[in-house]
Amino acid sequence: MIARRSPTAYWTGFAVVLALLAIAPLVLPEFWRRFVTEILIWGLLAMSSDILIGYTGMVSFGHSVFFGLGIYGAAAALLSVKPPNLWLALLYGLTAAGTAAVFVAYFSTRLRDIYFAITTLVFSQIFYVIIFTWTAVTGGENGLTFAQPLLSLPGLGAARFTPETLHWFVLGVVTVSYLLLRRITQSPFGMVLQSIRENEPRTRAIGYAVERYKIVAVMLSGLFAGLAGVLYAVQNKFAAPDFVFFAVSGEVVIFNVMGGMGTLVGPVAGAAFFLLLREGVSRYFTEYYLIPVGIIFTAMVIFMPQGLLGFAKRRLNE
Amino acid sequence: MRFGGLAAVNNVSVSVPRGEIRAIIGPNGAGKSTFFNCVTGVLRPTGGRVLLDGEDVAGLPPNRISRKGIARSYQITNILPGATVLENVRIAAQSRQHGWSLLSHHRAFGDLIDRARSVLEAVALREKEDELAANLSHGEQRNLEIGIALATEPRLLCLDEPTAGMSVTETHATVGLIRRIAHDVTILIVEHDMDVVMGLARTITVLHYGEVLAEGTPAEIQDNPRVQEVYLKT
Repeated sequence: MIARRSPTAYWTGFAVVLALLAIAPLVLPEFWRRFVTEILIWGLLAMSSDILIGYTGMVSFGHSVFFGLGIYGAAAALLSVKPPNLWLALLYGLTAAGTAAVFVAYFSTRLRDIYFAITTLVFSQIFYVIIFTWTAVTGGENGLTFAQPLLSLPGLGAARFTPETLHWFVLGVVTVSYLLLRRITQSPFGMVLQSIRENEPRTRAIGYAVERYKIVAVMLSGLFAGLAGVLYAVQNKFAAPDFVFFAVSGEVVIFNVMGGMGTLVGPVAGAAFFLLLREGVSRYFTEYYLIPVGIIFTAMVIFMPQGLLGFAKRRLNE
Repeated sequence: MRFGGLAAVNNVSVSVPRGEIRAIIGPNGAGKSTFFNCVTGVLRPTGGRVLLDGEDVAGLPPNRISRKGIARSYQITNILPGATVLENVRIAAQSRQHGWSLLSHHRAFGDLIDRARSVLEAVALREKEDELAANLSHGEQRNLEIGIALATEPRLLCLDEPTAGMSVTETHATVGLIRRIAHDVTILIVEHDMDVVMGLARTITVLHYGEVLAEGTPAEIQDNPRVQEVYLKT
């Protein structure tokens, strides 16, 4: 719960990783440049769910809802307002995801453990069906395509996104989100979430209104997942019901388990590892790629239950 | 308090003057734990009142009860195993303030840490503050349990078998500890160990089949033939 490590070592590591990610688009070929940007976006989604899974001990199978509504919210702004505006897309996306999060939080946080997980999964499917069938608004199965907004920074004017500036923009948003989430997990509020994970009845007995803390945790988590959705919309210029499907939620849980829950950075590493693995494996196994991925995942759960990050930490300490 | 057709605690009236150590004893199944659970909000009593300085707190959820000033320790150790000893107590102290602060570091609130440390001092765990609670010995965890309850600054402290499973030496130390903290708080204690009860309590209430069998000073209770019959002799 309180990991005391040297702050200098931490910030040095942070600066090195940030620098590597910043120069990545300048040195990588087109395909991988895009891939790294996408990893960052999925990493943000994984990080947002870590607030629930790793810190509060609530396994959410509903993060596709918040991610998907972030995408559709951004789509609504980009389609309805001319010219398409980046910040409006952000506002719409966060509002949509936040509203869904309030709704899901209110109904699901009364339940614990598997019941919470199932409820979030049910919500995930409800939103999927709504989006899939409400063709007039959401485009149904075909989804929506829209134009990419300009990168407009206050005081700096506006310009078209290039692969490099898009990557840096995403990197900036993800970095700020990471620092915010990290601070939240270390705040008094974050300590209450971890106390709930450690021992919920005890947390209640020392005077915390546990449900309220859980509701706020789901809302925060949903907002950051929605932010990831907005970034995805801006990068890919389309919205599809597949992103709301619970399989996406499942992948997010896998990112967490693979990378190491309750570490924020772990889920990002998990996302990177999973996406790279899938990319690599699918080149050899084409449509059967999930079989080797599944085997590797199972082996990881058995042999490094703490995830990649926990595993690396233990190795470093030995 | 009824569970279906079973009256687990019935017509029990216990009033504890401020500053007293009161013990509740009784054979297994006498209703001691149920009584505790009613007082601390774990169970909602099906009838009756729980008055704390004249205010009825019966039926409030545990978090509200805690805020009214009733704290408890548990028969089965109930701590945050994955947190440090200091954090276990700090989070309890934090429940009254700063809980909704999201953007400052939890260690920035020095007042809470100071209070947590003074509680650890009282329960003799100050040296162990950086240890994980899971790594403490059983006896230390029992004392941490009391520390967590104390950190919420209660008016009434309910201790559910605080010396359960302790060695003789540890029991002795914990009795001393309870006596020390009793200067500042009213204590209600459920205990099986007769030596502990006789040494600590000013008044003892004996429960039997959910009803009060006897109430009196330790000496009176020891001499009471009915109490001897159901409890002390067995």
